[in-house]
Amino acid sequence: MKTKSTVFSIVAVAILLVAAYSGIAQSGGNVAVVVNPANPIDNITAADLHKIYAGDKSSWGGGLIVAAFVRTAPSHERDVLLKAIMKMTDSQYQEAWVKKIYSGAAAHEPLALPSNSMQLEAVRSQKGGIAFIAASEVKDGVKVIKVDGVAPGGAGYSLK
Amino acid sequence: MKRIVATSLVVLAMAIGALAQSAQPADQTETVKALLKEVTELKARLAAVEAKLAEPAAAPAAAPAMTFTPETSSFVRGIKFQGFGEVGYKANDNPFGQSPAFGFSEGSNGNFATGDFDLFMTSRINDKTSVLAEIVFEAADAQSFNVNMARALLKYDANDYLKMSFGRYHTATSFFNQNFHSGKWLQTPTDRPLVVQFAAKGGMLPTQAIGASITGKIPSGKLGLNYIFEYGTSDTVRPDINSRTVATTDESNGNGTTLGLFAKPDFLPGLEVGGSFYHDRLNPTDTGLHIGQSIYSAHLMYLTPRFEFINEGFVIQHAVDNARTYHTPAFYSLISYNVSGKWRPYFMYQYANANVNRVVLDDIGLRHGPSAGVRYDFNSYVAAKFQYDRAMRRNPLPTINSATTQLAFRF
Repeated sequence: MKTKSTVFSIVAVAILLVAAYSGIAQSGGNVAVVVNPANPIDNITAADLHKIYAGDKSSWGGGLIVAAFVRTAPSHERDVLLKAIMKMTDSQYQEAWVKKIYSGAAAHEPLALPSNSMQLEAVRSQKGGIAFIAASEVKDGVKVIKVDGVAPGGAGYSLK
Repeated sequence: MKRIVATSLVVLAMAIGALAQSAQPADQTETVKALLKEVTELKARLAAVEAKLAEPAAAPAAAPAMTFTPETSSFVRGIKFQGFGEVGYKANDNPFGQSPAFGFSEGSNGNFATGDFDLFMTSRINDKTSVLAEIVFEAADAQSFNVNMARALLKYDANDYLKMSFGRYHTATSFFNQNFHSGKWLQTPTDRPLVVQFAAKGGMLPTQAIGASITGKIPSGKLGLNYIFEYGTSDTVRPDINSRTVATTDESNGNGTTLGLFAKPDFLPGLEVGGSFYHDRLNPTDTGLHIGQSIYSAHLMYLTPRFEFINEGFVIQHAVDNARTYHTPAFYSLISYNVSGKWRPYFMYQYANANVNRVVLDDIGLRHGPSAGVRYDFNSYVAAKFQYDRAMRRNPLPTINSATTQLAFRF
């Protein structure tokens, strides 16, 4: 009787864990790339996103300086950036920036912000601003751009 | 204000009362109506004044709205410090012992050394202007240290096509010199290959200069071409790497020019192919000679978080008084692979062949040999390295075997 109860408890806990994990996994969703409305671009390639967040591209057309923002860890937006665009781990990303700045090839790394609301405000206030924000949390004052010609939620959208 | 209005109302009420008692009945109705209307208006004004007075104290008119501006944010203002350090033990079988130029005790066949202690700092002035500085405490003989302002640059990045730096810089004569600088944690092997070693430690190139450096992209689509131009004054003082004492040669360089071109194609991120040309004139102290120095270099490298493949080749040409010309070929090749996130075995081969009868680099002679080692990263800040080197030299100089352990860190 006791064994049966224990097994039942284990199964129940396992089901709860699976459910919880599923909830976490589903909490991600599409991540939008947003820029300041003053920025004329409407589309960006994944290769250019990689260059921006690797420090190899520091200006938009017309001399507008890129002001890149990134969520602090842990966050879904940061995970998407690292996995889908940078293809590296968080520590590899941080080490790459240490090397980049140390070599003098870039003046500073993307500013890490702890919330999407801060990212939104940062992009609103910076003409060259760009950030990864959960599509469901995008608000007025920023412009969502396509990635490789696909808008968030579109077929084949890679940032999720 | 409130008191005045209240007093007025009281006076008016008293007046109304008095009038009501003393005036003739025919006039009373009209008068009372007029006074009541006035009282009503005054009450309304009083209510407005009271409402205004009841409002919270207004913010000072000059106070600006609080908005996020990275230029003024505490996240990025001020000076950002980073540091790199190392401590190691090196043993070798050189009959003359270790050269004192590398931070090891003169003549020793095995001792500890701290190597370079590197303080690196950056500061943003605005979104296009910044300052970069690197101060290195270099280990010299017998635990003495020299302070070296390795880099001090005022940088202005107009856009991706024009980035300018003014001050003391590491020359673009080699990829290694431009990317790894003094922080041993950043590089895989325990030390630089000899040809790209800092000149003050026996390297063969003018590694530092003061002047202007301009770099940027060249519109070239997916080819990813970049240029670099430098004009500055180098002052190379090299030790004799075979000497047990700190014998040096001051090359008394004139102004040097560097032109470089490299490609980072989009189709293979991590790949870089390029080359550079450097020229200056040397006037080695006490020789009375004038030497035209031209350095041709080419590099091919492929870097990913896991894989590292760096190759650089050089031809160093010295034209002595336009009468004799010497060519010194040199190269190194480094390959490493991160097998588990922490362990990175690596292999390097290096070669240099300088004519021993020449005025400069005569101590180099023929040197070539392999290095093999492994790097272990405890975390993102501390790494341990174990390296074996074998340097074969032209007869009659004996081959040197050495083993190095190094703890490299950043903070």
